[in-house]
Amino acid sequence: MASQRGDAFDYALKSNEAWANYKGHQNPAFFEKLATGQSPSILWLGCSDSRVPETTLLGLQPGDVFVHRNIANIISPTDINSNAVIEYAVVHLKVSHIVLCGHTFCGGAGAALGDSRVGGVIDAWITPLRAIRKAHDEELNAIKDSAKRAVRLAELNVEAGVQVLLSNFVVEEAVKDRGLKVHGAVYDIACGKVRDLKCGNSGSLPGSATEEELEIIKGNHGMLVFGGDGAKMAIR
Amino acid sequence: MDAQGRHFSVSHFLRQNQNRIFENNRAWVEAKLEEDPTFFERLSAGQEPDYLYIGCSDSRVPANEIMGLEAGEVFVHRNIANLVPNTDLNVMSVIEYAVLHLKVKHIIVCGHYNCGGVQAALSHSDMGLLNPWLRNIRDVYRLNEKELDEIEDAEQKWKRLVELNVLEQCKNVIKTAAVQQSYTKNEFPIVHGWVFDLRDGLLKDLKLDFEEALKDIKKIYDLEVGPH
Repeated sequence: MASQRGDAFDYALKSNEAWANYKGHQNPAFFEKLATGQSPSILWLGCSDSRVPETTLLGLQPGDVFVHRNIANIISPTDINSNAVIEYAVVHLKVSHIVLCGHTFCGGAGAALGDSRVGGVIDAWITPLRAIRKAHDEELNAIKDSAKRAVRLAELNVEAGVQVLLSNFVVEEAVKDRGLKVHGAVYDIACGKVRDLKCGNSGSLPGSATEEELEIIKGNHGMLVFGGDGAKMAIR
Repeated sequence: MDAQGRHFSVSHFLRQNQNRIFENNRAWVEAKLEEDPTFFERLSAGQEPDYLYIGCSDSRVPANEIMGLEAGEVFVHRNIANLVPNTDLNVMSVIEYAVLHLKVKHIIVCGHYNCGGVQAALSHSDMGLLNPWLRNIRDVYRLNEKELDEIEDAEQKWKRLVELNVLEQCKNVIKTAAVQQSYTKNEFPIVHGWVFDLRDGLLKDLKLDFEEALKDIKKIYDLEVGPH
């Protein structure tokens, strides 16, 4: 058993060495540049689940995404941990987007839909999820498939979290002052894709909709409308 | 270019920046499926990660990338300056779930040099909502006051506090009932302290002696036995 433990541990360290060598070889200035500072445009709030690695699935690079991940991506108004992350990202790093992302097959959603006690401190943590379940009892009970019911709860959880974010003072201020966008999404583990729930303050994540929808969404929010052959500015 | 034009180009740039995300996500899905058509199907059957990674929210330190691990291999919690405060239900829930339900074999607390959170704690300023969170790092300074006071070079002091903070957070992980009870029963998880160096991309193992640390901690914080 001891040797097995050692293997998994050594593997991660060796793997890091290979990655660092590869990155340094690809672009010799890569790490030097990283050390000068960070200016991510996205704050990702997601689940701790090992199957949802934000930077990997977004195809982004170190330096692109500021990250907080917890059990069931719960955004509780008085949680100092996530509040500190949001404050730092919005006020100090001035991110342009906050993406709150839930996912299918979420263990936290499964636990909140069950009636047994998880034990320890987890029951307290997932209380907001239980409250959402109670508030939408009828709708959730009507869904016979348990996996689908958990997905629906995950969606409702993201919607509730987005509302908490939009009521956060520094978020509200950044939305007003510099057009910060808050987005809600769900990641589908079975196909690897992020689905926009269009429940934030911008309607849709750009790139997630067709070109035509994108234009309308932009228009709905009094923003720029992009013409087919590029550069035209108009306010709807 | 006039003001309107400048506004356009910034928005246009941001939009393209965001377009990249969904395009990249689709490209990643395609690449994965080409390598292994059952990749996502297998993931939807459940997760069995060997590692719990507790790291900093800093965008330059993405857990899977620096460890070279795939989706499904590492359970992740990231917050400002990789802290494990005793009364924080957020991180405590993560540890409990990873140890008792996923039965991870390793818990890694990973800090990084150039950490803005640690730097903020070294400065003397009121940072509002961040004060109670950064207070935990200042406590680490107090616990190691003599050693840190002796370091005159500001950069070296900052680096050392990053390391000492990781070691202290490792101790906080070992103080949990979940870790103590699981280790007695299963001989895992083992707790490790790492520091990521942005200048070369390499992880440095701080070589925490887990057995020794556990023994020390249990003298006061022994949560081995239940209330009955």
